[in-house]
Amino acid sequence: MFASVRSATLLGVRGSRVDVEVHAGIGLPGFTVVGQPDEVCRESRDRVRAALLSSDLPWPTRRITVNLAPSGDRKSGACLDLAIAVGLLAAQGLLPVEILSQYAFIAELGLDGSLRPVRGATPLVLATADRQTVVAFENLGEASAATVTQVFSAKTLFDVVACLSGRAQWQKVALQKNSGRSRVVPDLADVQGQPVARQALEISAAGSHHLLLVGPPGAGKTMLAERLVGLLPPLNDEQAISATMIHSSVQTEFLNGGLIRDAPYRAPHHSSSMVAMVGGGTALMRPGEISLASHGVLFLDELGEFAPSVLDALRQPLEQRVVHLARARTSVVMPAEFLLVAATNPCPCGEGTPGACTCDDAARARYLRRFSGPLLDRFDLRVAVSRPNTVDLISPIAGEPTSVVAARVADARSLAFSRFGDTNSALTRQQLDSAAPLTKKAEEFLRKELEAGHLSGRGYHRVRRVARTIADLAGAPEMIDETHLHLALMLRVDLASGLRTREMSF
Amino acid sequence: MCALPKIGPKRLMTLLKHHDPQTAWAVVQGRAKPNEVVEAMLRVEGLATLLRHRATHELQDQIERRCIKAGIQITIFGDENYPRALIADLAPPAVLFYFGDLSVLNNRRVGMVGTRSATASGRYLASHIAHDLATNDVCVVSGLARGIDAWAHRGALRALESNLEKQIAGRPVGVVASGLDVVYPRENVQLWQDIATHGALISESAPGSPPEAFRFPLRNRILAALSEVLVVVESRDTGGSMITVDEAQKRDVTVLAVPGSPHNVASNGTNLLIQQGCLPVIGAQDVLVALGLDNRRAQENIYDPRARLSPSDQNIVSLMAGSPFTLENFVIRSRLATIDAAVALGRLEALGWIVENSGWWEVIEVRQPLH
Repeated sequence: MFASVRSATLLGVRGSRVDVEVHAGIGLPGFTVVGQPDEVCRESRDRVRAALLSSDLPWPTRRITVNLAPSGDRKSGACLDLAIAVGLLAAQGLLPVEILSQYAFIAELGLDGSLRPVRGATPLVLATADRQTVVAFENLGEASAATVTQVFSAKTLFDVVACLSGRAQWQKVALQKNSGRSRVVPDLADVQGQPVARQALEISAAGSHHLLLVGPPGAGKTMLAERLVGLLPPLNDEQAISATMIHSSVQTEFLNGGLIRDAPYRAPHHSSSMVAMVGGGTALMRPGEISLASHGVLFLDELGEFAPSVLDALRQPLEQRVVHLARARTSVVMPAEFLLVAATNPCPCGEGTPGACTCDDAARARYLRRFSGPLLDRFDLRVAVSRPNTVDLISPIAGEPTSVVAARVADARSLAFSRFGDTNSALTRQQLDSAAPLTKKAEEFLRKELEAGHLSGRGYHRVRRVARTIADLAGAPEMIDETHLHLALMLRVDLASGLRTREMSF
Repeated sequence: MCALPKIGPKRLMTLLKHHDPQTAWAVVQGRAKPNEVVEAMLRVEGLATLLRHRATHELQDQIERRCIKAGIQITIFGDENYPRALIADLAPPAVLFYFGDLSVLNNRRVGMVGTRSATASGRYLASHIAHDLATNDVCVVSGLARGIDAWAHRGALRALESNLEKQIAGRPVGVVASGLDVVYPRENVQLWQDIATHGALISESAPGSPPEAFRFPLRNRILAALSEVLVVVESRDTGGSMITVDEAQKRDVTVLAVPGSPHNVASNGTNLLIQQGCLPVIGAQDVLVALGLDNRRAQENIYDPRARLSPSDQNIVSLMAGSPFTLENFVIRSRLATIDAAVALGRLEALGWIVENSGWWEVIEVRQPLH
């Protein structure tokens, strides 16, 4: 007696299809799972047995072999439980085998026969999208939002069997739709004064330019960074699916409202390991913080305190917008399309003001050496943030609220998308010439800066991208003039410039 | 002997006062009988035992080798070329190691000290005052630390360079805390060589001595003792320069201070000094007057070579002069839009009125003699 049931397992942020083949034949009673199951998978024998018996369903006294095809890939997790149970029943002739070819099953079983939710419902359901899928009740919201095919849910194994054998109908559940912001994002109106820092946030959000905030303790760097995510527009369908897949594959709470529509915000602590940051770790290849921050903001507070190896691991994903992880058995590609915001003190004492800083040059140099040049170069915007003055701090006048700034950001972003279908920070060198043409004076100015050595070749293109965004925000969609370039350059502080003994004509 | 532990300037002086150097070394090693005063000194807390153990021939050889290798010269209190300014001092060093020529100390001497983390305008002033003093045949004595000290020396060296044919007497004099073959800070290595070649580089510490913290106040005392007038360019109220000021005041050396904006932390110390009655310095002229070398009538005219600013730019410069500021400070204070502010700063930088330092801007002064 044989039955084949469709299910899926998780690898990285993607599901992969698994056919659970169950054979119940003559021999000594026993139960074997083959096809590279991991520990959790192999334990499903005991869960399935208890669940069947609790549901008043028979456990066959035969020699049972369960094969997880394709048998070359490693399977992990408890999401195959339901498929194994259904396969066992079909192999005993208790369920019609033909009807199973229309279904896929993704759920864990409890010993009492209840269906338990699994993580990664979105990628799993997408992997079985050619069939109607049965999931646990808690996974229904997320699963039905992710796919166009029908998703059914049930509370217990007994209900599943009843519906499959035609004795009952699948329960219809009314789902709440996710509308607007589900999360409270702090408002920009709380930021008093600090006009330049606010503008830097706006430019960063409008052009997806990576932002480095440099300032003394108490300057409000963290406060500013937290408010950046509120300026980003809600995710479009494609981004929402991608973000939901990533979050779904790691989280423990369940996304009842369906897809993630808000730009994610991740702020890992500086003690985070390399694996926590870029992903990997278990056989499941868990996504790291950079993937979790995809389509949103990754905020690294106290940038200098992160391990240098962790910071340098960010360089490749920053450039390619995906992260390739390879291990001995598997390799995965996960999205890593995030807006990097970092905060740091200008020097060990934190003060930074020439004359007020108590650090000697060697200490400052040592501090700055923690950030590699190539990493610093990837920040299009490097902004010195100073403490807000007392008058602004206690003033009752609130700053411009997030909603007003976000509207300007949305306009600028749609302008950028109308050109090459991407944000300004993604413009290639070839695209720059047509998207960001320079006026005569602007060209002259940039040439002088290049000749004076203030700007590297890479810096030259980055400044032009930022200037494009500044012009978009200022409502000048055509030419870039030198005023835009001036601001772009001012928002690109060279941290090490104070260390070089200046060639001044003293 | 000065490389031994527990032997500071005072004990060394006592030893050398009562014995000639060879006998003193024998006394320390325990080979000769000490004079009664020295014996009393050696009785303190097993000092004699400690010295006997440390005062080995190897130590002697090592120091000798270092001196020969680096070309370090030595003068002892009482020698003919021992600086006259130090003979009558409160705590004269018993021995001095030096590079260069000690006779430059027979010229007029002005000490210049200040903070290591100086502002751009502080560095500019230090360099300029030192340049003008050197041009007027005054030696600039400083400590070769980072910041003000180094820039004072650079200014003095520049004066030598631009007056090659005149052979001016204003030579740079460096007084350092570490041994002369231990360059500290490393970045000033070129400056050490230049001062050793063109002036004099002096240390009380034995060759090979590391730049330990206790050596700096001792160095400051020599610096103060060598100065006829001490100029403090920029210093915080807790800075090491204030130790030099104390030492100078003990020796009745006139202390002058460069005033700064009350907002500028780097000028707290100098402003405090002025409040306490020090005369303010705004140029080398003031120092020359204090030395009795008033030559204001004979001066060349000085002018600012930069292009005249438009009235609005002039307003910006006067608004922001005095202390370092960020783009944000500027936007708030000038009430300009950020983009206009950025353009204004860029323009002023291009014209040479302001300089940038890791995101901080400063208004600077430029003056040149009219030829």
